[in-house]
Amino acid sequence: MRHIRNRSALFAAISAISVATAAPALAEEIIIIGAASAQTGGLAPYDQPALAGLRMAIDDLNAKGGLAGKYKVNLIIKDTRSDTAQTATVTQELIDAGAKIMITPCDADPSISAGQLTQPLGIPSLTLCGSAPVLTQAVGDVMFGTYPADNLQATAVADFAISEGKRKVFLLTSPDATYVANLPEYFGKVFEKKGGKIVGRGTFTMNQPDFSAEITNIKGLAEQPDLIMTAAYEPDFPAFIQQLRGAGITIPVYGADAIGTPTIKALGKLVDGVVYTAAGYPEAGSKLEAFNAAFTKYAGHAPESTYEVNGYEIGLILDQAVKIAGSDDPKAIRDAIANLKDFEGITGKITYAGTDRMPIRPVVLMRYDGGEAKYVETVVPAAADVPAP
Amino acid sequence: MAVMTMERSTSRSILPTAFRNAGVDALAMIAALVLAVLAIYLFGNAAMQRVVTYAAIMLTAVLGLQMFSGNTGIVSFGHAAFVGLGAYATGILTLPAALQRTALRDLPQFLAGYEMSFFAALVVVLVLAVLIGLVTGTPLLRLSGSSASIATLALLIIVYTLLVAGREITRGSQPFYGVPREVGLWTAVAVAAMAIAAARLFRETSFGLAARAAADDERGAAAVGVDHRIARLAAWVLGAVAAAAAGAMMAQFLGAFSPKDFYFDFGFTMLAMLIVGGMASSLGAFTGVVVTVLVVEVVRRFEGGGMLFGLEMPVLFGLTQGVLAVAMILVIWRRPTGLFGDRELNLLRRSHAKAEFSKLEAVPARAAGGSISVDRLSRRYAGVVAVDDVTLSFQPDSITGIIGPNGAGKTTLLNMIAGDVTPSSGTVSVGTSARQASAFRFARAGIARTFQNIRVFPRMTVLENVVVAARVVEPGLAAAEAAARRELARMGLESFADRPAASLAYGQRRRLEVARALALKPRFLLLDEPAAGMNAVETAELVSILAAVRNERHIGVILIEHDMRLVMNLCERIVVIDRGRVIADGTPGEVQNNPAVVAAYLGSRTARARQGNDVQ
Repeated sequence: MRHIRNRSALFAAISAISVATAAPALAEEIIIIGAASAQTGGLAPYDQPALAGLRMAIDDLNAKGGLAGKYKVNLIIKDTRSDTAQTATVTQELIDAGAKIMITPCDADPSISAGQLTQPLGIPSLTLCGSAPVLTQAVGDVMFGTYPADNLQATAVADFAISEGKRKVFLLTSPDATYVANLPEYFGKVFEKKGGKIVGRGTFTMNQPDFSAEITNIKGLAEQPDLIMTAAYEPDFPAFIQQLRGAGITIPVYGADAIGTPTIKALGKLVDGVVYTAAGYPEAGSKLEAFNAAFTKYAGHAPESTYEVNGYEIGLILDQAVKIAGSDDPKAIRDAIANLKDFEGITGKITYAGTDRMPIRPVVLMRYDGGEAKYVETVVPAAADVPAP
Repeated sequence: MAVMTMERSTSRSILPTAFRNAGVDALAMIAALVLAVLAIYLFGNAAMQRVVTYAAIMLTAVLGLQMFSGNTGIVSFGHAAFVGLGAYATGILTLPAALQRTALRDLPQFLAGYEMSFFAALVVVLVLAVLIGLVTGTPLLRLSGSSASIATLALLIIVYTLLVAGREITRGSQPFYGVPREVGLWTAVAVAAMAIAAARLFRETSFGLAARAAADDERGAAAVGVDHRIARLAAWVLGAVAAAAAGAMMAQFLGAFSPKDFYFDFGFTMLAMLIVGGMASSLGAFTGVVVTVLVVEVVRRFEGGGMLFGLEMPVLFGLTQGVLAVAMILVIWRRPTGLFGDRELNLLRRSHAKAEFSKLEAVPARAAGGSISVDRLSRRYAGVVAVDDVTLSFQPDSITGIIGPNGAGKTTLLNMIAGDVTPSSGTVSVGTSARQASAFRFARAGIARTFQNIRVFPRMTVLENVVVAARVVEPGLAAAEAAARRELARMGLESFADRPAASLAYGQRRRLEVARALALKPRFLLLDEPAAGMNAVETAELVSILAAVRNERHIGVILIEHDMRLVMNLCERIVVIDRGRVIADGTPGEVQNNPAVVAAYLGSRTARARQGNDVQ
């Protein structure tokens, strides 16, 4: 009996899906956007806020008639369970369901895996907040980043450090994650090109809170750095800075967007002077401030990060691309995205033209000061300065 | 005569019944797989085909895990590492040369530019897996139980660290991408089918039998000549090969991956699937993967909301993991050994339950070699002298009883003669060049034994229990099966052949242990309290069987026994031991009247009073 019941459930499931996929084909002027995103698992904390922003954008656009005021969006969301193989499977399901645009998770592996399915079909695919610069090259011309890439962020921080007069840097990396391994190295490339010098390098093991060896290493450097650059985040970053300051070293430490969290802000005086990046800053009267207010009304809670606005901007980019393409043809939409130049988003101007499909866009520099995150400046690095992945 | 020749032809020329049975089981599982895949191929969409392809790859990986863990009883976390190594090796070998130059700029020259097809790469990967399996398996041989499991965990961490550190070859923690995707549904199914056949048949090979026996009872296995290290290494290497094959397919299925895809999460997924299905059987691995994938696929479709039977379903992401977790808890609670943990399909065995039994009373040849001699043997345990300077010799074709009060050192002496305990000083010579104190080598040299507390292999069938021993001396599995059936018939156990040994009554298990020992065709049979716990009828039965065995096969029997009636009736010679020393050695009559013996048993005053009476 149990077997029979299982089987009928399976048939019901299959038929339910075929009904769901058949229906939109009948209606006119509907464009299906597939979202293969992590609803559960380790990636969910990144994918969820970004997806929430995208959903809000699509609701707003649909209220105005859809993409380009013409194509109502049917957003189909499927859970990747933060698993690469599962991402490929649900991407295939979304393709089968007729998706003309694909949204992929924040991580590089599943995004590449999904992109390998959409690339031969020419379906434009956008990662929700993946920032590994290699992501788009690994797939091909349908794959687009949306969030400030690691090398873009690193360029912004390096430009700022040089402008402050810093010339000697110590790079602290960990081979355990792409972001932590590569971002400081991108920084180093730009820094050296602009007259700076790398006086030392150190590595650490993630999630292992002992930095005494690295701190001894820094103390013993013949040429003392005037800056330490790292992409470490929780729980490594708090442990590092605590031990560093405990050892009496006062050299400033700069990082990137992963340390823009309430936990690190709460470290108070310990992180005074730490510079990091963000994808946007809601200055009074800015578009971002208005967005944050609108999002709070829409979702019932304030945005957790800049991933929400980034997700919203994906909706705007797609709207603009369909406007330019004048159709819902995936190839035309892809071409339109690839040629976007100085598109006015919410956080600033977004440019794909002339890039490897990782956008050039504003990077906000922030500084912790007295337990507060203070806005420093917004910079748009020059495309030529951004180091190759 | 006609019956005899027929019997010969079925048991010698055709495959042994265990292989036939396993082959039919494997074919049944493969047929089920192929039918399901055919249905998906004909009626399913591209996404469903991907699901099934992935399931077939996971099945291959989980079968690899089952081949090791299921047969050796050691839970392995390390097979995820083999999947990862297989994936990376395949990635490097099949990557298009142009892409390789950009994605892997610093790749060492000898690794670059192969651009192989999937199958060519698979062959290389499998050979590599054998080598890596041999190297990584060696440290496992000295470990047992949970320490071996921890070693597999260490292997997983080492491999992960190497993959992350080998940046020139693996791109480190960054995604390895650009692997061509040639593996489709049918490739995955074909490889999975081979894995099914391998896993099902491996159980029945001498390696599989030996590994399972050692997992059930390591000392018992050594006593029947099983070298568990070789068996374990074979299971490890074969499991590694299957896991690497799964990795090769995974590389081409995913196209992009990084070391974290083959780390703890993946290892636990494999283990969870195997535990749900049942670790001890290939059917368990098969069922575990099928059930898990089915539950996930069915439940997943309700997560996104929608209509079901006219009811509006809420959006409930995470439902899949929830249902899967509940299902796993239910399985572990209701069936601790998994859905099919304790049995294979055994289709053949079910269809004609009564297998032909040899009616031959042919006397098996016994192993060559001479007598056992023990020279100035001593064994000390932290100051306690268990055996003290004992010199004895035992001839084949005789029955010797060793008696003595509790704690006299009888079992220690027997264990040293069996090679199970290393002497502190002195030597045991078993008539061949077997090394000192190696239970399995002594067993192979013709010294068989039973244990005071029975050591049969409870999870194996009665027949398999005996086949394990017979396989050590017989040239092939078919011959071993025939010999095992003969020994079972000798012990009156033939009707229990296909039952698990754990289901036997106490007396039957004792007889099974004797049958197992006799299957070694020994020169000497060492029995440690064979009648302990038996009633009078069972004891009488045992005595007549032992007497008959000795008459037919002319082997030397050495037994420790407290049942004096048994000893006096059966033995031609009796050695009495007290406090580790031989205090008497002679015929039953001589020993019975030896005052030292009576004193040792009953105290000196009673001895004087009782002099002349039978020793009770």
